Amino acid sequence: MELKICHLYPDALNLYGDQGNIICIRRRLTARGIEAAVTGVRVGEKCDLTQFDMFFIGGGQDFEQEVLLSDLAAGRAADIRAAVEDGKTFLTICGGYQMMGSHYLTHDGVRCDFIGAMDLYTEGRSERMIGNMLFRCTGENSGSLVVGFENHSGRTYLGPGCTPLGTVICGRGNNGEDGTEGARYKNAFGSYSHGPILPKNPAFADFLLKTALERRYGSVSLEPLDDKYELAAHEYMLGRLAQ
Amino acid sequence: MNMQIPAIIACKLTRLALRLMGRGGTALPGKVALRICPNLLGYLAKNVKTVVITGTNGKTTSARIVEQAFIQTGKSYFANKSGANLITGITAEFAAHSTIFGRPKCEYAVIECDEAATKAIVRQLRPSLVLVTNIFRDQLDRYGEVAHTLENIRIGLSAAPEATLCLNADCSLTASLAAELPNRTVFFGVDVPIYKNRVSEVSDAPYCIRCKSEYEYDYVTYAHLGGYRCPKCGYSRPKPRVSVTRILSQTADSSRIEITADGASHTADISLPGGFNIYNAVGAFTALTEFGFSASEALSALGGFECAFGRMEKFDFGLSPIRMILVKNPAGCNQVLNFLTNLDGDAVFVICLNDNYADGTDISWIWDVNFEVLLGMGESLKKVLVSGIRADDMALRLIYAGIPDSMLEVVYDYDELIERMASSETPVFVMPTYTAMLDLRRRLSEKFGVSNFWE
Repeated sequence: MELKICHLYPDALNLYGDQGNIICIRRRLTARGIEAAVTGVRVGEKCDLTQFDMFFIGGGQDFEQEVLLSDLAAGRAADIRAAVEDGKTFLTICGGYQMMGSHYLTHDGVRCDFIGAMDLYTEGRSERMIGNMLFRCTGENSGSLVVGFENHSGRTYLGPGCTPLGTVICGRGNNGEDGTEGARYKNAFGSYSHGPILPKNPAFADFLLKTALERRYGSVSLEPLDDKYELAAHEYMLGRLAQ
Repeated sequence: MNMQIPAIIACKLTRLALRLMGRGGTALPGKVALRICPNLLGYLAKNVKTVVITGTNGKTTSARIVEQAFIQTGKSYFANKSGANLITGITAEFAAHSTIFGRPKCEYAVIECDEAATKAIVRQLRPSLVLVTNIFRDQLDRYGEVAHTLENIRIGLSAAPEATLCLNADCSLTASLAAELPNRTVFFGVDVPIYKNRVSEVSDAPYCIRCKSEYEYDYVTYAHLGGYRCPKCGYSRPKPRVSVTRILSQTADSSRIEITADGASHTADISLPGGFNIYNAVGAFTALTEFGFSASEALSALGGFECAFGRMEKFDFGLSPIRMILVKNPAGCNQVLNFLTNLDGDAVFVICLNDNYADGTDISWIWDVNFEVLLGMGESLKKVLVSGIRADDMALRLIYAGIPDSMLEVVYDYDELIERMASSETPVFVMPTYTAMLDLRRRLSEKFGVSNFWE
């Protein structure tokens, strides 16, 4: 088996260690003898997105996010929407997650149109929500606990066209108001959790990989790995936040 | 009502009380003073000629070099030594170096200033000269993104139009300050690549600060530093007045470089190793010569300064030499690894990762550090010990970098860790984050009498 993975905008959305997710995806696949081919697609680079099974989009600085808008408008947004509709697996974090929504409303009322692949939008506020976080994924999203770190000023609100990824136990999540964290539409997932999210949440990481593998290969079972280090990091933060 | 004198007295008394209790805090005395008199710093700094050093990395080392020139020429000066670089610590230093009536006891001050705090501090200090070392992403939970840091520094500097600015030409962010400010500006830079083998790094500033097009580079020294130019709007590295024109040699303890200023070339020995210290040296050289020191006085400071607290500091309580190198953000940590992995000889590495406020509470930056380069050391890397509050996260990062399980050890207890360091038969390189360094030193001081940071 193999997965073709697209890392979108590694040159612009590379803040907060999110590339650790790519290292993790590669590691957990190859440990099981599954080939992992990762392709970085940079701003302005032409690339046929239909060839990929899985996509990763990380978070970035506001400055660089603006650079992306013209790239999205030049056809990339349509390609991403098509891939999402086609059931491809997406992991999108923070700024990348916000971009999957329809738009961003800055705190002074300027509207910025985004990809529109997921029924959600984000409002900018001046107060940042910063800190360690803990949430539980809903049943259809593995039901696992996820630890991470959030740092965002945007408040994301979900429309009826997508469901929350999970429920906040510690931290603020999507907007600090409704207790939801992240979103799912088809196989597209979004979360505010840096950390990076995958290495120290192996159950969630495997759930994501399984989703991508099953779309391509039908029913798949992943053999368990020795997650000693992963679980030590996971449980440390769990213990600290549960107090 | 004139509250300066009570504020100064309160500050001095608090400081004395802390010293008598054997503690070295500088924040509390400053806090007490500022509560009594919020503009105390401006009052105390009025008649002191001040050099301010700010930027993300290299502040402390640059300040030590600048300070060394004041020492060697016998000038009456003081400096904020203890990493006390916020308004509280700086106010306390000024109060300690003035009479209770606020008259300065020294003619000069060398002040390292937190980049996020420049906004509040520079306005009061009104420095004669400001050195900006560089701008990198650093502790995003505290500083936010680089554009934000740049803006904080710009606002700070805009309150001191009479100050000479010494700016790093190779940092596209730092150099962009020149066009925004009316100040007299002098650029410094490194004209040649520094490393034969450079770690691959994420750039913190790949896009033009003016028009957002991607920069092109003639050469890169490290991270986003080097000979950049924007193909669209033409913004490019300004030609530095003071340049490193050749790297003559680099060892584990020092570097020899050629500095060219206004057409004259000088050979400079720097008493600290590493490419990042070459930048600190040329920045400090520029600041010193602009401040009125002669080139030979500046050169002798470069070779004569003592390495600052935790900046490649050497300890000899163990069987083998133990060196401590503070790490705090991806760019700095990559530079440290770049340097360490290029050394000859066997090594044991110790990494202590904390996530207290002063370290940055978000430790995800360790995933932006290229720990994969450690694999290139092959047999000469004997062991990696990890410790600190977030030891488990650090261990996971190293495992994901490909460090074999057998080579890695998590040692939670500092006493055990120190024992292991002391009994190591191979040289030890300790890389702690800020509060981990303080914790380690406290234990070292108890065990071996290593001096505390305020001494």
